[in-house]
Amino acid sequence: MFDAHMIMQVLAAAVICGFIGLDRTALGQFMISQPVVAGPLTGWLLGDVTAGLVIGGTLELIWVLDMPIGTFVPADSTVAAVAATAIAALGSPMPGDLPVIGFSLLMTVVMVPVTMFADHLMRKRNAQIPQLVLASDGRPTEAGVTGWHLAGLIAFFLKSFFMCLALVPAGLVLVSGFQMLPAAFFRAMEVFVTLLPLLGAASVARKLSMKILDKTLLTGFCVGAVSVQLLHLPEIAAIILAAAGGWVGVRSHGA
Amino acid sequence: MAREAAALRTTDLLGVFWRSFFIQASWSYDRLQSLGFAFALLTALRRLYPDKAELSSRLAVHTEYFNTQPYLASFILGAAARAEEERATGRMPDLDVTELKTNLMAPLGALGDSFFWGSLKPFAAAAAVAVLLTGAWWAPILFLVLYNIVHVGLRFSLVFIGYSTQGDVLGLMTRYGFTRLARRYKVMSLAIVGCIVGTVSAWGTDFRPAIAIPAPGLAIAGLALTLALTGLLRIGATPVKLMIGLAAACLACALGGIV
Repeated sequence: MFDAHMIMQVLAAAVICGFIGLDRTALGQFMISQPVVAGPLTGWLLGDVTAGLVIGGTLELIWVLDMPIGTFVPADSTVAAVAATAIAALGSPMPGDLPVIGFSLLMTVVMVPVTMFADHLMRKRNAQIPQLVLASDGRPTEAGVTGWHLAGLIAFFLKSFFMCLALVPAGLVLVSGFQMLPAAFFRAMEVFVTLLPLLGAASVARKLSMKILDKTLLTGFCVGAVSVQLLHLPEIAAIILAAAGGWVGVRSHGA
Repeated sequence: MAREAAALRTTDLLGVFWRSFFIQASWSYDRLQSLGFAFALLTALRRLYPDKAELSSRLAVHTEYFNTQPYLASFILGAAARAEEERATGRMPDLDVTELKTNLMAPLGALGDSFFWGSLKPFAAAAAVAVLLTGAWWAPILFLVLYNIVHVGLRFSLVFIGYSTQGDVLGLMTRYGFTRLARRYKVMSLAIVGCIVGTVSAWGTDFRPAIAIPAPGLAIAGLALTLALTGLLRIGATPVKLMIGLAAACLACALGGIV
């Protein structure tokens, strides 16, 4: 199972995770680390874009409103997306295998508290850095500030790298066991994956609205359903109509 | 009498802008972005304080506690660069840069968290996921474009606005109307999320729920499940627990021959 080629691919996945993980907090925050980008990018690099698109699309909305405010460190959706995509890409017999994608997602998501703990430890350790930039007279130097500050990038890289390096091989072993299970397990994981965007929708609705039956959400639902089922419009036209409706609606209420 | 110190150049502020992307490279619990702030301001400080000892003393000031929303930190960086310039050239030698930073970081932190994390990001994500569910491969690119046009554009301009207005935060809020824009993005996000659920029967083949229900029934079932999950999240369930619960329910249904 773990021949030289596979080991190289696992290492490649860990390196990808390390670099993408930098974008999460330490470098730029261009949102390349969001699952909707990190998943497809990893899938493309490892030869299974479909797995990346499915995993990125299903995970994106679930944690999108977990905000890094103050000292709160949100769930590490980047490691989850990259590791799940790598496990699915390297462990499935064919690209875009939904049951394996579902199982990979489930395994990595269960490990999210562990990735959060690793993040917490690393940030705690970073607290030593401001002491290291001080010269013998107790004042910071230009070289000290630059060198030690940028050294923080290495810590962030290594955190994501090692998390992925631990998760992917373990996931591959479990996936090989999963493939020996009865067909009902495959069917269950297939349905599970396709229901996750609805959990994402619920997660966004929960954070953006005080009500369960939100008027805007229901209007968007009606626009989508009528456009696609009665008017037979392309889905993208329905999305534009719903967004435009939201924009016009909020303007008419004076906001 | 004013000292002979060089004024800041546009290239110095461009340097501050470039370095602002690294502001959280050494983020830690007790000092948060303090070292990052000093690092980002270094190109400006170097121009203003050629004397190493003085530079080191100004660096000590800027490595004190600092935390705000990382994108809007650009505005404070611009304002701090201007304040340092006023101080170094002797125009306002007693200007307290620490007080300026302290006064700006809390309101800009709250504003930026609400605007970027709480409204722009969910809007870009909802739009991208809605497009992705149709099977379009370019959805990640759409997400990056929608988000970064605003993010990078603002980050760039805020360095210069902070510098020219000397940290006039009220002027900044009037100019950009962040609160009004945030509300619009939030409403559009909710509408798009509703649309995602309403178009469930038209999702791409890799996403469409593999359940034999006619299209209108599937949309209504999708809405019912979304509302039920929203209710569970509201009473304290976490996404991870709900995912495990969903997987267990799917397995029970599959074993029972329901799906």
